Amino acid sequence: MGKLTIGCFPGLVGNWSYDFALKFAGAAKDKGHDVDLWFSGNASASIVAGQKHLKDYSTGEKYLAELIEKGVKICTCEACSIARGVKKDASVKGVQWNAMHWYLASIHGADRVLQIGGE
Amino acid sequence: MKLGVFVSDYTLVNDTLDRVGPDGLILVANGVYHATIKGSALLGKYSKLYVLSEDLATRGIEASAVDSKVKVVDYSGLVDVVFNDFEKIAWL
Amino acid sequence: MADIKCAFIVQKPQYKGETSRLAITHAIAYQTVEIFLEDGETVTPTLCFIGEGVLGIVKGQKAMDTYGITSTENHLMNCCLVDLNVYVCKEDLAKYGISESDMPDAEEMGADMKIQIVPMSEIKAKIDEAKHVLFF
Repeated sequence: MGKLTIGCFPGLVGNWSYDFALKFAGAAKDKGHDVDLWFSGNASASIVAGQKHLKDYSTGEKYLAELIEKGVKICTCEACSIARGVKKDASVKGVQWNAMHWYLASIHGADRVLQIGGE
Repeated sequence: MKLGVFVSDYTLVNDTLDRVGPDGLILVANGVYHATIKGSALLGKYSKLYVLSEDLATRGIEASAVDSKVKVVDYSGLVDVVFNDFEKIAWL
Repeated sequence: MADIKCAFIVQKPQYKGETSRLAITHAIAYQTVEIFLEDGETVTPTLCFIGEGVLGIVKGQKAMDTYGITSTENHLMNCCLVDLNVYVCKEDLAKYGISESDMPDAEEMGADMKIQIVPMSEIKAKIDEAKHVLFF
């Protein structure tokens, strides 16, 4: 089995690339691969806790918690999250906070890297 | 190195794909329309073509409507494609 | 496993979204990645601008004055200061009527590195030799 690193920059809700990133991460983990998921840009706001899972709105919190439970390592860009008003003690439990070099370090050990840009 | 590129839009706003020259394409999101709409410029150019079944179904497209040159895979199959059929991947 | 080469390819213009800027700041982060790695392990990014990605990298930008945001010009000068390899597609500069002399330069700030204007074939070679390719 190998390691997949996904860099996810698009925001939650309104950009289905985010939804793809989470589903793909889960699928890779289910097949036994190691998976790291890095959030930067607008994706970094998706880690806020207390999201309401309304019908017709894609949601990060529930799926993030499931991915963490499976063993996917998820890390958000600290600067990007703080800039968006996300507070560490009010974010999804288990999501790491770090600087951009976390992503590069993850890339160093990855067999496959999928960078999904924002907007 | 064998490069697989994820195509997530139908309208390609620039020529990056042509210039990069990947070894194969993985059609997801609105990129799946390349697998079904006749006349898509991409179908004749690449020998390795994959389309995500969940994104076809989301859009009400039957797998039978997919061009015969394109292999339909689900998320699980897509993981295998990424690890076995390509050495590196990119998203455009 | 020692050095891992990554190609960061910016193909979208700057100043509509933040993606192009994030490409630069992520590439610059290679300077501190060693704190997470074993001795001798490194990540070497090559930052490349192609297509419309070359539009917003000229000097004389006023992003800070108008929007309070560090300009792409300043980010690129920082790249030169930290010895990051930056490649700009020669054909695309010509296509959009941008002079090679319009590229930012950090020599006066003490940078040894300069932005390199190269043919697309050379950028393609960087994509081919990289272990991972990231498009922005």
